Amino acid sequence: MATDTGFRLNDAPMPEDRTAGWGFVRAQGDVVQEIDGTWLLTSAEAVRFAHRHPEIFSSAKAFDSLGSPVPLIPLAVDPPDHKKFRRVLDPMFAPRVVNAMEAALRAQVRDLVSAFAATGRCEVVADLGRLYPTQVFLTLFGMPLEDRDRFIEWVETIVENAGRDASGEPSPEVMAAAVALFTYLQGHVDAKRANPGDDLLSQVLALSGDDAWTNDEVLGLCFLFTLAGLDTVTAAIGFVMLHLARRPDLRAQLVADPALIGPTIEEVLRLELPAPITPRVVLVDVEVCGTLLPAGAQVGLCLATANREPGWFGHADDVDLSQADGGHLSFGGGIHRCLGSHLARRELRLVVEEFHRQIPDYGIAPGAEPRVAWPSGTLHLTALPLVFPVGDQA
Amino acid sequence: MRVVIDPQRCTGHGRCYVVAPGLFSDDDAGFGQVAGDGRLAPDGLAEAERAVAACPEQAVSVVDEPGGAAATV
Repeated sequence: MATDTGFRLNDAPMPEDRTAGWGFVRAQGDVVQEIDGTWLLTSAEAVRFAHRHPEIFSSAKAFDSLGSPVPLIPLAVDPPDHKKFRRVLDPMFAPRVVNAMEAALRAQVRDLVSAFAATGRCEVVADLGRLYPTQVFLTLFGMPLEDRDRFIEWVETIVENAGRDASGEPSPEVMAAAVALFTYLQGHVDAKRANPGDDLLSQVLALSGDDAWTNDEVLGLCFLFTLAGLDTVTAAIGFVMLHLARRPDLRAQLVADPALIGPTIEEVLRLELPAPITPRVVLVDVEVCGTLLPAGAQVGLCLATANREPGWFGHADDVDLSQADGGHLSFGGGIHRCLGSHLARRELRLVVEEFHRQIPDYGIAPGAEPRVAWPSGTLHLTALPLVFPVGDQA
Repeated sequence: MRVVIDPQRCTGHGRCYVVAPGLFSDDDAGFGQVAGDGRLAPDGLAEAERAVAACPEQAVSVVDEPGGAAATV
């Protein structure tokens, strides 16, 4: 259904400045239709309404265009089946599980930072942001860290080309990467069925009776984690470091008082969302903020604009630690609240702690102008080159 | 006054026990739970209000009495 609203999300001035970009989107209204027919819910009230009504706003139907060969567990599942998966998965991603992994995860990020700490320069996205989340995934799922680089290559090939081709036909490169990734994952599933370890994947495979998952569901969980849990953390690492690089005052505060690291991360997450818009499909006619959405409508929940709602945060467009932990929606809300939120927050904290332990002072490389790729489903910096003094910092 | 979590709204963001560890703890699934009976000490309101604000689901509130009306929404 084409309309004459004239609004294109892709026209938002996003690359250099998300405040300008999301301001452009929010100015269109609480509920706005794009020229291609997709609806965007931009106000906090509208987004909350959708989060609280999964029986109206289906997530199961929202990811069909990805053409995944396996069900995306647990995201692309509606009630009541959704509960079966989250009941099992929530405890596997709980903070106490992350606590038990922390020493290993900290050592890994320390090593990554050490690799460039003596060189005086790094490119945060390539040297840290891309590598670390995949190492965490491999650790959590009990797969060898040596496979990191080829794993990253498969996933990036798939993610960067997802949904790009209007014909819906994946390119030969994407098909080859997908086949390689699924072959790899299936190999580990089979191996862990035969010889279980103490990793998350083995725990899922150990479920029996009514709780047991099909092979496709297990692969679907792995695939969803690679789609939703890698480049999002890559992006968040880039954004946190970007804001700290631009704010020497904040950085000095945080080095002096590590208790401020958490609030700093929350504020950057509020403003710079790796997954700024989450898709849903409306199952029945529904009125949202005075606008009728017809059954079947494709809807995007714009978490990024909701987080900047006027009147919610005093300095809605700025990092301000005094307003941190105000309940932002960057990890979504309702039954599909990001399963990996506790893990992602821990990864970010460990990155900030270990980076600043070795490199307390740094700046953006002269001439570099960090920008996000746009249009893009997930927002991420294309590069963040930093320079820093070396010698007496270790 | 005491703090309560609305189980219909809570989806396990886990912010309450991060910003107000004296009033909440985490369960096996990472969901927040009220520590003890949730009654606030005389100086406990500020901590409770931090948790109210931090909850993305607006699931945490301060109520006047057990089962009473919400004082903060």
